[in-house]
Amino acid sequence: MKITEADVEYVAKLANLEVADNEKKELAGQLTRILDYVEQLNTLDVSAVAPTTQILENVKHAIRDDSVVPRTGSSEAGKTVKYFKVPKVITER
Amino acid sequence: MNLRNITADKLVALYQNRDASVTEVITRVFEEIERTDGSVRAFLTLCKDKALEDARRIDKKIADGEPLEPLSGVPVAIKDNMALRDVTTTCGSKILEGYVSPYTATAVERLRAAGAIVVGKTNLDEFAMGSSTENSGFFATRNPHNLDHVPGGSSGGSAAAVAGGMSLIALGSDTGGSIRTPASFCGVVGVKPTYGRVSRYGLVAYASSLDQIGPFAKSVRECAQVLSIICGFDPYDSTSANVPVEPFLRDIDQPLKEVRIGVPREYFVPGLDPEVKARFEQCIKVYEGLGCRIDEISLPHTEHAIAAYYLIATAEASSNLARYDGVRYGVRKGGEAGLADMYRKTRMNGFGKEVKRRILLGTYALSAGYYDAYYLKAMKVRTLILQDFQNAFGQVDLILTPTSPTVAFRIGEKIDDPLSMYLSDIFTITCNLAGLPGISIPAGTNSAGLPIGVQLLGNHFQETLMLQAACNFEKAFLLQ
Repeated sequence: MKITEADVEYVAKLANLEVADNEKKELAGQLTRILDYVEQLNTLDVSAVAPTTQILENVKHAIRDDSVVPRTGSSEAGKTVKYFKVPKVITER
Repeated sequence: MNLRNITADKLVALYQNRDASVTEVITRVFEEIERTDGSVRAFLTLCKDKALEDARRIDKKIADGEPLEPLSGVPVAIKDNMALRDVTTTCGSKILEGYVSPYTATAVERLRAAGAIVVGKTNLDEFAMGSSTENSGFFATRNPHNLDHVPGGSSGGSAAAVAGGMSLIALGSDTGGSIRTPASFCGVVGVKPTYGRVSRYGLVAYASSLDQIGPFAKSVRECAQVLSIICGFDPYDSTSANVPVEPFLRDIDQPLKEVRIGVPREYFVPGLDPEVKARFEQCIKVYEGLGCRIDEISLPHTEHAIAAYYLIATAEASSNLARYDGVRYGVRKGGEAGLADMYRKTRMNGFGKEVKRRILLGTYALSAGYYDAYYLKAMKVRTLILQDFQNAFGQVDLILTPTSPTVAFRIGEKIDDPLSMYLSDIFTITCNLAGLPGISIPAGTNSAGLPIGVQLLGNHFQETLMLQAACNFEKAFLLQ
């Protein structure tokens, strides 16, 4: 799969990244090589294989009761910053 | 006191018998860091004041005759992608420069509760993406055995801190080999536990279905001791496994009885360094000498593991790293042209090259029209790799491989060729895809004095046998 500089620009936009013009060519080349390498997966017939999304399916994972419990942790983040100020969300076209 | 010649249990015994004070030892540790870390550069942040405060508190406990905890006064270093309250967590990234954690990761909290003293936070490839610690947004860490060589990655700072005598224990995280590769390159022991064994609460996510925290130390026994402290269920991590933690140390010195060890034929790859191969064959003999049965096994989908890994890991990373947008954490740039402008400029300036590359690759693999061809296919290949191991563990108890196809490479050697860097993870990556526990054990050095490592893989939650077999090897290898 040949990745062009336009592809890099498109994917960068999806990922909310800005890529400098002088980096586009290098990235297009590197991503092309990496994708050429992963194309090898096409030699496998996986039409009858189920995808693995979770390794340990027989392990009971942490599901807690939906009740309020005191905890230290990410809630403390609000102690230093009461709100997050962001730039204008709606801009003119 | 030289940390290179002492183990954690002996150090605690010294304190207990009042042959050394914790304050004295921790002061010496910082002197050693000052001497050594100017060239090795393992640490991003030192916690000297807090460490000395902890030391004085433990000294007081000893003076009062209070009982000590298993790791009382033992210096530990923490990879800088784990949260420690009131201390910066940068993940080796400019985008998190100056970010201070409001809470402490569960694994770190458990170590501290067991008496361990955090001396500092260690360098890593940015967001744990890399195999050499050259991708840090701040500086590269060097291998204490030879400063012209990399320490491995991504937990290179943690491995170098232990190998360089600057900490006794360290924590790292392993997504595709990030504990085992640096352990191998730096000549120390490193363990990646079963997925779900150690809580990931407070570990900054890179690829959530693969990430796992584990210890570094100079000996298998010390790693087993740390594991017995940090493993176990945590309600704050929804993937934490609620399975009992066995006493890993209890039978660790017992001889191995009728243990079957598999050697996968697919791991004799063309890129395997001849000296590493010869040493690996010698390691097989060591296990034969310990009475183990060695069987050749097949893991037929090994050759596809790196391709599957770099699609799954980058896809998960592109999603996990979306949160670094300049709103809540660290650095903020731009914004003159609105919110989207701020997102893009912050991310462009904050992320390094490799992180951008992986975000782009992951975004591409998940994008409309390519999801089925790349991401979904990789997840199906992951199933095949898992089945390979399930079949293998029907025949054998443990799997023995080299940890890395080479010894530590030179700084700069692979930095411009991301694919060749990815290929160096060939022996460690399958373990993460299958969620298995793995350990890298030192097996001497090559003719140039660079360490070689050997890797044992166990079945899910079979750390006890894996550690026992590793401990037996460690002793037998030294006696050769």
